[in-house]
Amino acid sequence: MRESLRRFRRKPAFTGCILFLVVLVLNIVIQGWSACLSGGVTIGNMLSFFQPTALKSIFMTNLPFILVTVGQALLLLVGQMDVSIGVQIALVNVVCIMVPQEWGTPVWVGWLVAMLAAFGISALCGACCAVLRLPALLASYALTYLVKGINVLIMDVPQGSVPKTYWKPYQSSLYGLIGGKDAPAFLKFLDYIPVAALVLAAVLLIWLFISKRPFGKHIYAVGTSQRNAFAAGISPVKVQMKAFLIKGFFVGVAGICLTLMSASGNPLQCEEYGIKSLSAAIIGGMGWGGWGSLSCGVFGGGFLVLIQNTVYYFFTLLSKIFTGFSVTSYWQNFVSDIIIFGGLLMTIVTAKEQRKTLQQGLKAQFKRGEKNVQ
Amino acid sequence: MSNKTMTFNPNANKDIFSKINLFVQTHTALMALIIAVVLYVVTIIINPRGLNTVAIGNIILLTIILSIPAAGQTMVLIGGGMDFSVGAVMSSTAVLTTYTMRGENGHFITVLLLSLVIGAAVGLLNGVCCVKIGLPAMIVTMAISNIVTRMQYILTQGILSGKASPLFSASVKSKIFGVIPMIVIYAIIVWPIVFYLLKRSRFGKQLYMVGNNSGAARLNGVRVTKIQIMSYVFSGMLAAFAGMLGAAYMSTARCQIFDDYAYMSLIAVIIGGTTFAGGSGTYEGSIAGSLVMVLLSNLLTTLNPTQPVRNVLNAAILILLLVLYNRGKAVRQ
Amino acid sequence: MLEMKGIDKRFGAVVALNKASLTVQDGQIAALAGSNGSGKSTMVKVLAGLVAPNAGEIFIDGEKKIIHSGTDAARENIATAFQDLSLIPTMSVKDNILLGCEICTKSGMVDEKTSRKQVQELLDRFHIDCDPDDYVQTLMPSTQSMLEVAKAVFRKPKILLLDEVTASLHYDEIETLFGIMRELKAEGISMVYVTHRMNEIFEICDTITIMRSSETVISGQVSEFTLDDIIYYMTGSRPKHAKAKESDLSHLDDREVVVNVKDISVYPKVKDISMKAYKGEIVGIGGLEGQGQPEVIRAILGAVKPQSGSIEFMGKPVKFKDPAAGVKAGIGFISGDRNKEAIFDVRTIAENIFAGNSAKESLFAYLSARKVRQFSEDAVKKYNIKIGKLKDPASSLSGGNQQKLVVARWIAMNPNLLLLDDPTKGVDIHSRQEIHEILRECAANGMTIIISASDTEELLNISDRIYVFYEGKVAAELAGETKTAEHLVSAMMGVQESGGKEAAE
Repeated sequence: MRESLRRFRRKPAFTGCILFLVVLVLNIVIQGWSACLSGGVTIGNMLSFFQPTALKSIFMTNLPFILVTVGQALLLLVGQMDVSIGVQIALVNVVCIMVPQEWGTPVWVGWLVAMLAAFGISALCGACCAVLRLPALLASYALTYLVKGINVLIMDVPQGSVPKTYWKPYQSSLYGLIGGKDAPAFLKFLDYIPVAALVLAAVLLIWLFISKRPFGKHIYAVGTSQRNAFAAGISPVKVQMKAFLIKGFFVGVAGICLTLMSASGNPLQCEEYGIKSLSAAIIGGMGWGGWGSLSCGVFGGGFLVLIQNTVYYFFTLLSKIFTGFSVTSYWQNFVSDIIIFGGLLMTIVTAKEQRKTLQQGLKAQFKRGEKNVQ
Repeated sequence: MSNKTMTFNPNANKDIFSKINLFVQTHTALMALIIAVVLYVVTIIINPRGLNTVAIGNIILLTIILSIPAAGQTMVLIGGGMDFSVGAVMSSTAVLTTYTMRGENGHFITVLLLSLVIGAAVGLLNGVCCVKIGLPAMIVTMAISNIVTRMQYILTQGILSGKASPLFSASVKSKIFGVIPMIVIYAIIVWPIVFYLLKRSRFGKQLYMVGNNSGAARLNGVRVTKIQIMSYVFSGMLAAFAGMLGAAYMSTARCQIFDDYAYMSLIAVIIGGTTFAGGSGTYEGSIAGSLVMVLLSNLLTTLNPTQPVRNVLNAAILILLLVLYNRGKAVRQ
Repeated sequence: MLEMKGIDKRFGAVVALNKASLTVQDGQIAALAGSNGSGKSTMVKVLAGLVAPNAGEIFIDGEKKIIHSGTDAARENIATAFQDLSLIPTMSVKDNILLGCEICTKSGMVDEKTSRKQVQELLDRFHIDCDPDDYVQTLMPSTQSMLEVAKAVFRKPKILLLDEVTASLHYDEIETLFGIMRELKAEGISMVYVTHRMNEIFEICDTITIMRSSETVISGQVSEFTLDDIIYYMTGSRPKHAKAKESDLSHLDDREVVVNVKDISVYPKVKDISMKAYKGEIVGIGGLEGQGQPEVIRAILGAVKPQSGSIEFMGKPVKFKDPAAGVKAGIGFISGDRNKEAIFDVRTIAENIFAGNSAKESLFAYLSARKVRQFSEDAVKKYNIKIGKLKDPASSLSGGNQQKLVVARWIAMNPNLLLLDDPTKGVDIHSRQEIHEILRECAANGMTIIISASDTEELLNISDRIYVFYEGKVAAELAGETKTAEHLVSAMMGVQESGGKEAAE
C-alpha cells in the first residue's frame, strides 16, 4: 500500500490529480450547500452535483475542451504545442454542418470529411513544427489566422442545424440511450452515466491501446532528447508527425462533440481553447517535453472546468447567504483566473514534493553504492 | 567542439538559398529593413495613391507604438524568457488612461505614475514566477495577463468609458510639418533609454550573458535571477507606457483593445533577429521588425481582401518569414 | 572488419576531422586515443550516424556502407555507448534499454513481461543494482554509465563503440566491464574503445589508433607501443621527465593564508576536505575524475553550499550565498568546461573578455564602447590571443584561444584568488604552456591560485603544492620532494604510501 502510494507520488499526473480532486470536493460541497439553501437539506440536494441532468450537462458542454487538452498534452509530450487547436475544432464544426447542408450528403459523410479536415490541418501544423522545425508557438499562432480564415470562407455567419436523431443521443445518458422510459426500471442507475463520458472513455481507451505499442515509449524519448532518440534509431520527425496526427483525431472527435452539443455551426468559436488547453495541461502536471502523461491532460482540463463551475456556484451561494449581494460575471471570471494562477503555483509545490521522493531514491542508492566500494 | 552548432554548412554554400539564409542570419536588422522596403514598394505599386502624407504618418505612428512593447519583449527574450503579458498590460493602461482622464487635461502625471507602477508590478510578478519560482514563462505570463484582463472588465464593467485628454491625444497625433506625427517625441525619449540599457550599461552586458549562457554568467559573478526579473519589470513598464500612447491615439479604449500586441511584439522582435534561445538580438532589429509588421498590415489593407482572405494571407506570410528566420537545428550535424 | 577512410568533417570554420581513418578487425578491441578535441568522439559519432561527414567512406566487411542515422547504424549492427550518455532520464531503466528495439507480442503491443525478464538478466550480467522500473534520473552517474554500455550490448552488435565509458566508473564496475568485453571479444565482436586512461589501453586493447588535431597519426598493435610513444603521438612531443618545478616551502608559515578550508562536505561527492592556500602560491588539486575536485572549488566560490565545515577567505570566515558574492570579495573562477561554464558563444570576443568587468560595478552607469574595446584589445595583445576581429563571435575561436580568452578575462580583473577547474581540458599544448606562464607570473605578483587538473604531468608542473583527492577526502598532500609522479599516481589510486605526507595537518 505504502509502496503503491510512493509510486503514485512519483507519477507526473500526481500534481494534477490532487488539484482535480480538491476542486471536485469543493465543487460538490458548494453546489450541494447552495442547493440545500434553496431546496431544503436533503441528501439529494447535498449531492446535487451528481444529479443526472447536472452530470450530463457538465460532461456534454466540456468534453470538447477536455479532449483538446488531452491532444495538447500529447503534443507537449513530444516537445511541441499547437495554439491553433481551438480554431481547429471550430473548423471541424463548420465542416460538419456545411457538407451536408451544401452538398446534401448524409450527416455522417460530413463527419468523415470533418475528420479528414482535422487530420489535414494537424498534418500541416506538424509539417511546420516537426519537419520545417519552426518554433511551435509562433507557427501555430500563424496557423490560427489561416484556420480562422478558412472557417469563415466555408461558413460566413453562424448557421446550420443537426438532426435531432444525432444530437439527442449525445446529450442524453446511457439510460436515455437504451430507451429512457421504455427501458427496464432496474437499469435506472445508468442515468448517472452520460453518453459524453462514454465518448471520453472510448477515446482514452483508444489512446491506451496506442500507448502500449512501442510508439508509446518513443514519444517520451523524442520529447526528452531528440538526439538521444535519434541515436537509438528512432526518427524524431516521424514520431512528432504521428503525435500531430493523433492530436488531429482528438480534435476531430472534439469538433464533432461540439457540433452535437450546440447543434449548429459557428466559424469563430473556441479560439481561446488553444491557450487555455496549454495552461490546463501544465496544471495537470505536464512538463515541456518528455514528462507527463495524457491523464495530466484529463485532470488539468477537468480542473479548469470544475473551477468555473465551482466559482459560479460559490457566487450563487454568496447571494443566497447575503441577500442583496450580487456581482457581475466579470468578478466570477476574475476569481476563477486567480484560482487558475494559484493552481499553476501549486504545481511547484507538488513538483517539489515529487523531487523529494525522487531524491530519496537517489540517497538509498548512494548508500548501496558506498557499500559496494568498501 | 562537436556539440557546437554552426549556422551554415560550407558545402551547401554554393546554392543561393543557403547564401540568402546566411545573409539573413548575420544581418538580421538590415534584412528586416529590406523586407519592410519590399513590402512598402509592393503596396505602392498596387495602390499608388497609398503614397500620401496621412498614410506615411500613420505608418510612423503605429511603428513607434509597436516598437515600445517590442523593446520590453526584446529585453526579456535576450535574457532567455518570454513575456506574453505585454498585450494585456497595454490594454489595461489604455483603459485606465481613458477612464481616469475622462477627456480632461491635467491628469497626465497621475496616469503616467499609476501606469508605470502597474506595469512594474505585473512585470515583477511575471519575473518572480518565471525566474525565481521557475514556472514556464509562456504559461505564467499568459495566466497573469488573464488576471490583468479581468481587472479591466471589473473596472469598466465592460463598458466603453472615458476618453484620453485632448492635449495628450494631440501630443501623439498632431503632425509636425503635416507629415510626422508628434509621437516621435516619445520615441526620442524612449528609444535612447532602451539603447542605453542594452548597449551602454552593464545591465545590458549582463543581460546578454545571462541569456546566452546562464550557467557561465552565474559563475562569472552575475546575479542571474535579479537581471532576469529586472528584464520583466522593464518590459512591464514599457508596455504600460505604450498602452497610454495607444489610448491617446485611439482616444477611447475598450477592454482588451491591444491584446494582439503580445503576439505582434513577439513576432516583430523575432523578425528583428532576436532568438528564442536568448543571448542575441538588437533593439534596432526590433524596431525594423515592428516596421515590417505595420507595413504588412498596411499591405493587407491595401489589397483590401475580405477578412478571411486577409487572415489566410497573413498566416502564409508569417510562416514564410518564420521559415526564413527561425528554423531549428537538425538533430544530425 | 570495419574500415573508415578519409573522413572529413567541418563544423563551420572548425575542422573536426581531416582525412581521419580507422580500421578494426573482427574480434579485436581497438583503442582510439588522442587528447581532448582531437576528434575521437566525432569519429564515433560518424559511425553512430549522429554526425554527417563531409567526405570519406565506411566499409564493413569490405562492403561500402552509408550510415545516415541511428537506424542505419543499427541495421549495420553497430551499437554505441556515448560519452555524454544517450539515456532518457525521465524514462525507466527497462524502457531505456529497450528503446528502439522494443520486444513486442504478435499483436504489436509491448511485451512487458518478457521485457522485464530480459532486462533483469542484462542487469545481473552487468552487476547493476537497480530495479528495471526505476527512473534513470534517480540513478548514480556511475550506474548510468554502466547502463549506457548495457544498453549498447543488449542490441547484440557486431561492432561495439565505447566512448570514454569508464570516466565515472568505480574499480569494481570497470572490472565487470572488462570481463564482459573479453566475453564479447571471444564471440567475435569488434570493439572501438575510446579512453583517456593509458593503463586501460595496455590492459584490454589489441590495436591502437592515435589521433592528433583531427588527423589519424598512427595505428598499430598495442604491444608495439610504450606509454611514452603514445604520449608522443598524442601531443607531438616526448614527455620530459623530472622537470617539475622545485619550490621553496621553508617560509610557508610566515605567509598570509588566503584560503582556509576546514572539514567541508558537499553532498554527495565531498566527504571531508581541509586545505589551505597561501598568498602567491599555486595549489594543485589532483585525483581521478569525480573525486570531488569541482565541488570543492565551487564551494570556495560560493556556487555550491557545503553541508558542513567552514571556509575562511583573507582571514575572515565567509559564507558566500552565490558566486556573485565570491567574485565581489575578489575571487575569480576559470572553468575547463568552456561551453557550459565560461564562453558566451554568440557574443563577441570583446564582450567575452570584458565579461568579468561587466559583472562588477554599478549596473546602470555609463559604459563607453571605447572602454570595452580598449580593455579587450589590451588583453588580446598581452595574452597573445589569436582572433579575427574583436566583433566576431567567440565561437569562431579555437579551443585554446577560447581558454586564453577566459584566463585573460579574469587575470585582467586581478583577483586575490583565482580558482581553476581543469582549465586546460582540450587545449593544445602550445596554448597550455602560455596559460601556465601567465599563471606563474600572476602567482609571482602575489595572486593565489588553486588549480585542479586531470593531467598529472600538468599538475606536477604548475603547482607548488598538491592535494590529492580520493573518494571525497584528501588522500595525500604532496610538496617538495614528495611531489613526484609516482606519489601522485599512487595517491590518486587510493594507495596509501609511506612517501606521501599524511593528509591532515
